[in-house]
Parts: sequence; C-alpha cells; structure tokens
Amino acid sequence: MAGTVLREALVGRASSGDRSPQENAASQEAPLVVLRDVVKTYANGTVAVSDVNLSIREGDFLSFVGPSGCGKSTLFRIIAGLGRQSEGTVDVFGGDPERSRKQGGVSYVFQDATLMPWANVLDNVTLPLKLAGESRRDRIARAEEALALVGLADYRKALPRQLSGGMRMRVSIARSLISKPRLLLMDEPFGALDEMTRQTLQDELLKIRERDPRLTVLFVTHNVFEAVYLSSRVAVMSVRPGRITEEIAIDVPYPRGEDFRTTPVFSELVRRVGRGLAH
Amino acid sequence: MTDRSAAAAAGEHGERSDGRTREARGPAGRRGDSARKHEAGAGFFVRLTSRWGAGALPPLGALVVVIALWQFGLKLLGTPSYLFPKPTDVVRAASDNFPLLLQSVWTTAYESLLGFLLSIVFGVALAIVLATSRMIEKSVYPYAIVLQTIPIVAIAPIIVIWFGAGLNAVVVIAFLIGFFPMLSNTLIGLHSTDQNLRNLFYLYNAGKWQTMWRLRIPAALPYMAGGLKISASLSVVGSIVGEYVAGIGGGKGGLGFAITQAAIRVQTDYLFACGLSASLLGIAFFLAVQGLSRWMLSSWHESAMRIEN
Ligand SMILES: Nc1ncnc2c1ncn2[C@@H]1O[C@H](COP(=O)(O)OP(=O)(O)O)[C@@H](O)[C@H]1O
Ligand SMILES: [Mg+2]
Repeated sequence: MAGTVLREALVGRASSGDRSPQENAASQEAPLVVLRDVVKTYANGTVAVSDVNLSIREGDFLSFVGPSGCGKSTLFRIIAGLGRQSEGTVDVFGGDPERSRKQGGVSYVFQDATLMPWANVLDNVTLPLKLAGESRRDRIARAEEALALVGLADYRKALPRQLSGGMRMRVSIARSLISKPRLLLMDEPFGALDEMTRQTLQDELLKIRERDPRLTVLFVTHNVFEAVYLSSRVAVMSVRPGRITEEIAIDVPYPRGEDFRTTPVFSELVRRVGRGLAH
Repeated sequence: MTDRSAAAAAGEHGERSDGRTREARGPAGRRGDSARKHEAGAGFFVRLTSRWGAGALPPLGALVVVIALWQFGLKLLGTPSYLFPKPTDVVRAASDNFPLLLQSVWTTAYESLLGFLLSIVFGVALAIVLATSRMIEKSVYPYAIVLQTIPIVAIAPIIVIWFGAGLNAVVVIAFLIGFFPMLSNTLIGLHSTDQNLRNLFYLYNAGKWQTMWRLRIPAALPYMAGGLKISASLSVVGSIVGEYVAGIGGGKGGLGFAITQAAIRVQTDYLFACGLSASLLGIAFFLAVQGLSRWMLSSWHESAMRIEN
C-alpha cells in the first residue's frame, strides 16, 4: 500500500503545475525510466529491494543514498539489464532494460575505475566503440573529445597504474561518455577518492552535464553533501529490504558551483537528507 | 606442483590488483612505448648482470670452493675416475668429445623446444575451448586431471610403439609432460578475470569471442607465464626421459641417449659432462622463458617490472 501511495506521489509530480513552461514541456514526454513495484529476491532468499517505484525523466540527476546493502547496486543492475527483478515491471526508454541497453544509450561507472590494466588510456576509453565495431578513425576522434572533457588529453598512452585514483576515475568517466549515453549509471563512483579529488570530480561532472543537459544521471553515494550538491532529486533508501522511504527535490538551478556549498539552502537540504537517512 | 604454481601466479596477480595508488608521474610517466620496449628487451640482460654483479660473489665463491674440494678431495683419496671423476676429468672428457657433446645438446634442445611449443599450442587451445563452455569443461577436465596423474615413464613404451623409436616419440613425451601445467594454469587464468571487467564487457554487449580475445586472454597472461616456466623445465626433463626409452641411435643421439651410452661403457667422466650439460640446458630454457614472459607482460604486469618508487 505504501508503494502505491509513493508511486502516485512520484508519478504525479511529473505532471504537477508548479514548473516553468520549459520544464513542463519536457515533463510531458514519457519518462525515461519507470520502475513499478519492483522486488528483487536473490536465489539465496535475500530480499534486496522491495516495493520500489520510480519515475525518472530525461535530464534528471537522481541520487540514491542509503546504508550499505540496501540494494542500490541491485537496482542499478536491474535498470542496466544486468539482472532481472523478481516482481514488478521495469521500463527503460519505453522498453525492456536489456533490449534498451543492447541498443546502446546506457553507460555504467563503477566504484572501482574498472580499467584493463594492460591497456593504455586510449584503448581503455575506446573499448565501448571497439566492441561496437566502430572504425578506428571514429574511435580516436571521439576518444580525444571524451579525454579532453575530463582533462586527460595528454595521457593517451599512459597505463592505468601510472595514474592516480582520481585520474583513473576520469578515464572511467570518459569511457562511459564516449558511447554518447542517454542514461548514465554511476555506482559510488567517487567513494574511494580523497575529499579534494572528490570535490574536483563533482564539479567536472556538473560541467559535463551542463554541456549536455539531456543526459540523465543515476548516482549512488554515501555522502549526503555530494548527493545534495549534484542532484536534482535525492532518493533515500531504508535498510534491507531496501525501499525508497523519501524523495527530496533539490530545487536549486544549475549551473551550481563551489559557492552553493556554503549557502543556507545547501545546509538545510543536507540536514533534510540526513534526517531521512536516520529514520 | 601445478597447484602451487597457480597459487604463485595468483599471488603475482593479486599484487597488481591491490589497488596500489601511485601518484601519476605526469609527462615523465609517459616515457613512451619505445623506451619501455627497449627496457624490456635489452633490459633483461642488464638487469640480470646488475643483479648478479652485486650478488654474484658469494655463490661464485661457494662454487669455487666446492669444485676445489671435489678436485683435491678425490685426488687425496685416490678415487678412480670411473667411480667418481674429478672436475678436470669431466672437462677433459667434454673437450675431447666436444663435437659429439654439442650435437647431443643440440638434439635434446631441439626436441625439448618442439615438445614445449606443442604443449603451449595444445595447452592454451584446449584451455580456451574448456573456458568457453562450463559444460565442456565439466565433462572433459576431470579426464585431463586423471590423465595427468599417469606417470609418463609408464606410458613411454606405448608412445614408442605408436610413434616409432626416435625423434617423434621423444617430442611427444616432452609435449605430454609439459602440456598439463600449461593447460591448468591457462584455464585458471581464464577463469580469474575481474568480475567488474566482465560486467563491463557484458554491459557493452561484447560477444563471447570478443570477451575472450580482449579480456580473458590478456587477463590470463600472468598465469600463462607461470605455466610457461614450469612447462619449459619439464620439457627438457621429458625429452631426456624420452631418449632413455626411445633413444635416437647413430650420430644424432640426444643427451639422454648419450647418458645411457656413457653409462654402459662406464665413461663416467663423459656421463658427468652430459649430466651437467643437461642442467645447463634446463637453466638456459628457464631463463629464456623468463625473459619471454617478462617481455610479454611488460606492458602491464607489476611483478615483471622494476618497482619504481
Ligand atoms: N548475487 C547476490 N546473491 C545474493 N545476495 C546478494 C547478491 N548481490 C547482492 N546481494 C545482497 O543483496 C543486498 C543488496 O546488495 P547491493 O545491491 O549490493 O547493496 P548496496 O549496493 O546498496 O550496498 C545485500 O544484502 C547483498 O548481500
Ligand atoms: Mg553497492
């Protein structure tokens, strides 16, 4: 029952009237991703997530916060078509998640940069294009673009082990962008980085989104500050079986910069998300 | 033995995946591929000599002492040369029969190399086939393990019957003995691909063979290198054992054959010379393979690189 109420709240929000005309036009399009009453029970009986209802529109930046093991990665795997839900329906780009992924348009960034240690930066970044059978010329041209975007244009020939953790994550992000995705799933991408690097990469991610405001990002983090700084919405999840207990809109317009971190609105939102987590 | 090597390979592998964070060395870190290749090729010998340059004195000293004790001890005792030859006797026997000895070394080296190459080709190929399908692996691999436990000496006569006495039988025996370590190490390597990377390939819709060539085989290289080292040494053992059974008569006999002949004729000094040559051949094989695997892994494997801090 709680699920139904929540769904109405979420889906209903999409057509509510308190938006600018522009945003209204965008929101009338069909949502990019819809999850209805999703339950995932693993073979060993673990109920990882339960009653998840979500509607994600194009251009959303939705962060998931919640304790470890509450099913955030499980949810991402289902959306990416890496695993199937046990109950409920999942709709990505208006169809089956796995089919949508096969048609391209979904990219994934893991917590660990997940680079091939034997391949240099260029070969790592062009991997998705290589697997898709794109010509070498296209691959290189698009890799240069993607590497420039993350500030690694001078590191084409470097091997992963010659790079710092932050640089490796940049390579991973460049790789995820090279296939021109509509939906970017980032599962704790900055979790292993030090605070300085983390903040730098947050700003770079915001810049990347400014260039392409239609890019939809789903983001997992343990860091409440990070969630508020980056997102247009934050979904708070409960302990296992994971449910979305609260959705908090971060109605602060982009572009956002360092000064956003010091505003009262920011602190207030951080407090709200933190309270949601504590429940 | 194969288990141990696999564990060692896994250890080496683990070393690279420990997420060691090293600060980027910036432009200096991109010394370019040509520089690195050069380092891997010529660097091998430089490293060998520099490592041995400093550390070589104690073992060399020990060697000299042992040889001296051997020489003068036997002289003092007056032991006849046919029972236990002195180092000088061995050297004389080797130089008196030098062309013959060289021919034997060459023959054995040739057989070992052929057997070794066959074990690489078949070991890797079968491992790839087994790794592509759980079904095939489950139905075939147990037999491979059972076959491996059969002592090679026990089936050598059958191989001689099937392949005829001579080169072919010897090569087959050298191949059989080196085959299993190659197979099992490669198979373990193909199965130990990082799960995240596999997911990534899956997400980007990589086909089975794309995943094999671009991910699983490169990721298995350190394990294969471990298999190469074991198989290389074993193939020398295999060809000498093979010659004991299958022998190559005439002027073309290998070291194993020469050893049997010397033993029959009680040419103990020459027998020693052959035995020492066999050890040297084994060491040469091992070093060559070690150089090869360093070169193979130079682009990415940490344990094959000099650690620069
Ligand atoms: N393949 C699996 N089989 C069984 N249980 C799993 C599997 N994957 C995850 N789980 C369990 O499901 C729960 C949610 O996991 P996960 O989605 O990884 O959580 P999170 O990413 O939020 O930390 C955890 O309790 C975890 O142990
Ligand atoms: Mg997780």
